[in-house]
Amino acid sequence: MSNIDRRTLVKGSLAAMMAGAAVSRSAFAQSSEPILLGVSGPLTGPNAQYGTQWKQGFDLALDEIQAAGGINGRKLAYQFEDSQSDPRQSVAIAQKFVSNPAIVLELGDFSSPASMAASPIYQRAGLVQFGFTNSHPDFTKGGDFMWSTSVSQADEQPLLASYAVRRLGLKKLAVLHLNTDWGRTSRDYFVNAAKEYGAEIAVTEGYIAEERDFRSTLVRVRDANPDGLILISYYSDGALIARQARQVGLKQVICAASSVYSPKFLELGGEAVEDVHVGTRYFPEDPRPEVQKFIAGFKKKYNGTEPDAFNAYAYDAMNMAAAVVKIGGTDRKAIREAFTKVKDVPSVIFGQATFDVATRRVKGAMNAELVVRKGQFALWDGKPT
Amino acid sequence: MSSWLDYTINGLIVGNVYALVAVGLALIFGVSRLINFAQGSIYLVGAYIGWVAVVQLHTPLPLTIIVVAVAAALVGLIIERFGLRPLQNSVRIAPLLATIGISFVLDQLVMLTFSPNPRALPSQLPDVRFQVGGGTIGPLDLLIAGVGLTSALLLFVFLRYSKLGWAVRAASQDRDAAMQMGVDVNRVNQAVFGIAAALGGVSGLLVGMYYNQIDTAMSLQATLKGVVAEVVGGAGNVPGAVIGSLLLGLVESYGVAVFGTSYRNLFAFLLLVVVLVLRPNGLFASARQAPPEPLTGTFIAPSRPVRIPRWALLAATAVFAVLPFFPVSFYVLQTLINAWLLGMLALSLTLVAGTIGQVSLGHAALLAIGAYTSALLSLTLNVPVGLAIIGGGLMSAALGTALISPSFRLRGHYVSIATLAIGEIVSLVILNWESVTRGPIGISGIPPLSLFGYELISPNSIYGFSFVVMVVLALLQGRLLSSHLGRSFRAIRDDDIAARAYGLSLNRYKSLAFIFGGFAAGVSGGIAAHLYSYINHETFNTQQSILALTVVILGGLGNVVGAIVGAVALVGLPEVFRIAAEYRILIYGIVLLLLVRFRPQGLLGTI
Repeated sequence: MSNIDRRTLVKGSLAAMMAGAAVSRSAFAQSSEPILLGVSGPLTGPNAQYGTQWKQGFDLALDEIQAAGGINGRKLAYQFEDSQSDPRQSVAIAQKFVSNPAIVLELGDFSSPASMAASPIYQRAGLVQFGFTNSHPDFTKGGDFMWSTSVSQADEQPLLASYAVRRLGLKKLAVLHLNTDWGRTSRDYFVNAAKEYGAEIAVTEGYIAEERDFRSTLVRVRDANPDGLILISYYSDGALIARQARQVGLKQVICAASSVYSPKFLELGGEAVEDVHVGTRYFPEDPRPEVQKFIAGFKKKYNGTEPDAFNAYAYDAMNMAAAVVKIGGTDRKAIREAFTKVKDVPSVIFGQATFDVATRRVKGAMNAELVVRKGQFALWDGKPT
Repeated sequence: MSSWLDYTINGLIVGNVYALVAVGLALIFGVSRLINFAQGSIYLVGAYIGWVAVVQLHTPLPLTIIVVAVAAALVGLIIERFGLRPLQNSVRIAPLLATIGISFVLDQLVMLTFSPNPRALPSQLPDVRFQVGGGTIGPLDLLIAGVGLTSALLLFVFLRYSKLGWAVRAASQDRDAAMQMGVDVNRVNQAVFGIAAALGGVSGLLVGMYYNQIDTAMSLQATLKGVVAEVVGGAGNVPGAVIGSLLLGLVESYGVAVFGTSYRNLFAFLLLVVVLVLRPNGLFASARQAPPEPLTGTFIAPSRPVRIPRWALLAATAVFAVLPFFPVSFYVLQTLINAWLLGMLALSLTLVAGTIGQVSLGHAALLAIGAYTSALLSLTLNVPVGLAIIGGGLMSAALGTALISPSFRLRGHYVSIATLAIGEIVSLVILNWESVTRGPIGISGIPPLSLFGYELISPNSIYGFSFVVMVVLALLQGRLLSSHLGRSFRAIRDDDIAARAYGLSLNRYKSLAFIFGGFAAGVSGGIAAHLYSYINHETFNTQQSILALTVVILGGLGNVVGAIVGAVALVGLPEVFRIAAEYRILIYGIVLLLLVRFRPQGLLGTI
């Protein structure tokens, strides 16, 4: 909420809450007011870290958008409402956003239960729900106002499988996946692709998000005798698994999904994540201008911190929102139409993002094959580890 | 064969980790008969203080441990002095709620200070590994085992041979008698909380180093596993807690070995239920030991309920009934819809917890059963939504009662722990029973609410529907409470031996209460499923169970109107505090604590 001072915001939301539409419409009608996006996401609760990362990505994108003159001279701003990723709260937030005419577009929520519970409300009210981390295959089936730039796992997992099987030459894989809708969907796409490329799946193990101890799971993995471990994990659990795998003496090649791509993965994993292979959508030395601009801007704004995958998703999403609002203006229906028209928006994840109007998703994520070398992510040089 | 050795070692290693939390919980339970839900938060605070010491101040390990122990002990003393001591003469359930409130506040404070991002907490021990079986163990494993065993041993010696230890045991057996014999009970409590908190803090530090990772979500998990381990070993029994923890670790590890990783917690909670049913006092309770809970109903003390005049109730109902006809924003309506849905759950819980005295901590499971039944009936069998919701209610009533019936012989806190476990089991079964529940993918495309062919999709009509259903359930429950059934329920709650002497069959009445309560909760879950259109195993989680219990205690146990008032308050407050952004849950926790402090019998009092 750095681009709009809290008092205006509070006044705006209070007005919308108390008096309904009439007051707030007049309050936001002047063109000096920023164009407002609603964000529903976790700022407290078990997923709070992801909401914090969203904010960093949003704020960087907004700085750049504002510096480039905003949207036809008007500023772009967002109102972040904390849902704790709880469907009960995300539906209330949905009603709050749809009944506030100043909100032209909604972003989020984080988890599938929270996002998809709110979808019917956005759909009926005709406000676009732009779920940029919603990989659940049914998310955009909620209606024609549901759009997503989340990398489809149907796209991402074959890339990872190709990295592991074709490039690294692994033949017998153990897949460890987060047992959530995302992890499960990813696993299925991965397993299909890996089999197609000629690898054998020795064992798959799903674990719950709160799990911290993987030693017994890793004994199962060891007994299946794989030549590679595939981690469909987030960075914190991915780092835990890598550490414990090395502790119990597993020396196989580890290959992880792009969601572990974060400086935190290196910090939490320490020496254990050395030589871990990661299939990602961009990498620090990527010559693409949008990547260089993103990484340089991020480091400058946040005291030298490296951005991670969730920062990038949020940054891309805000840029996409700006591109859409530029075309569609402030009318909600026109914004929905703008999603079908917007073309080749520069994107860290996709290079250039254009929606597939039939699925309301973006196809063709970029691919980079990285490996952790000397505590840093580096482009894989093709040498075996 | 060698794999089994590895599974055994791994089980012992992780059991070792659980033991650190369980010992602290056991100590507090032994003295004040209180499940300290804030123990996990002290563990969290300890981990972060340790992070500051290690990463910022570069203290050596022995000094780090001392700093963390002292700081955590201080936190424990503050909790005891300002959070719990003022409540010692009030209802027994009030301190339980207070510890929940304290854990909110502590978790939020840590999150606000350190941000929710996970951090690395590097181990300060040399990185050498010893080969054991197929795996290795490191010096931290040994240190954790050492701290766990030493502290259990020291506590055992302290309780058995020191004067203060005798005072602790005397106070735990009979607080009033101990006071008459000149024991300074407050000092005893202070000592116990200080020691338990120091232990909790150090365990957070060591476990953080063990995984090289600390984050703000670690506190609830630590409490859950600690409670399970403690109860398995015998609540209040310190050496028992250590053995219970090791056993828990082993069962989990063997569960993974035989069935796979996603079944891990299922075995932990099944172990708990089996132990509770077979040996309600834990595996290591001696036969001579006094019963763990007083025989008569001091757990839920009677209080004078606030009498609300009938006209006021009617007026309030009328106001809420006509609300949608006025220009209120959909946001307010949606918030109230949430309140009515939570209200139905609270009606259910206030009946089983308040009226008949079975304090359930797994009530979200009833929501989940109702929601899944209703969703699947309408999706796969094309049952009309109205009927499907009723089906959800019936299924919740039947399945919920059947699941809970083994724990009917338990009392007081043990019921809460058994229901907590049953709640977790239901959620894990939903996750793993993929052919029916679609596992983690969840059920999407659930049809919207409809009645006699008309879809209820506007917030106004959903509001009207959920309000009417809740009022009908509330009226039914009011009628039930004023009948002979209600009097029998309360008789069982207040003195089950006397009730039995009068010829009341305890199990039959408890079943009746759960059938009625299960129906209300199942209907609430069913409506939620059709409202959300998508549910998975995370939709109805432990936090919801805890929230429901908070509502019920806040409103006044057994109090029908109180349950609804409590639901409106606890749904409304976090929304009102939205202005405070990230601080809202902190403020919510503080408000909760103040309410418990000044109205421990609930806003409207126990009926």
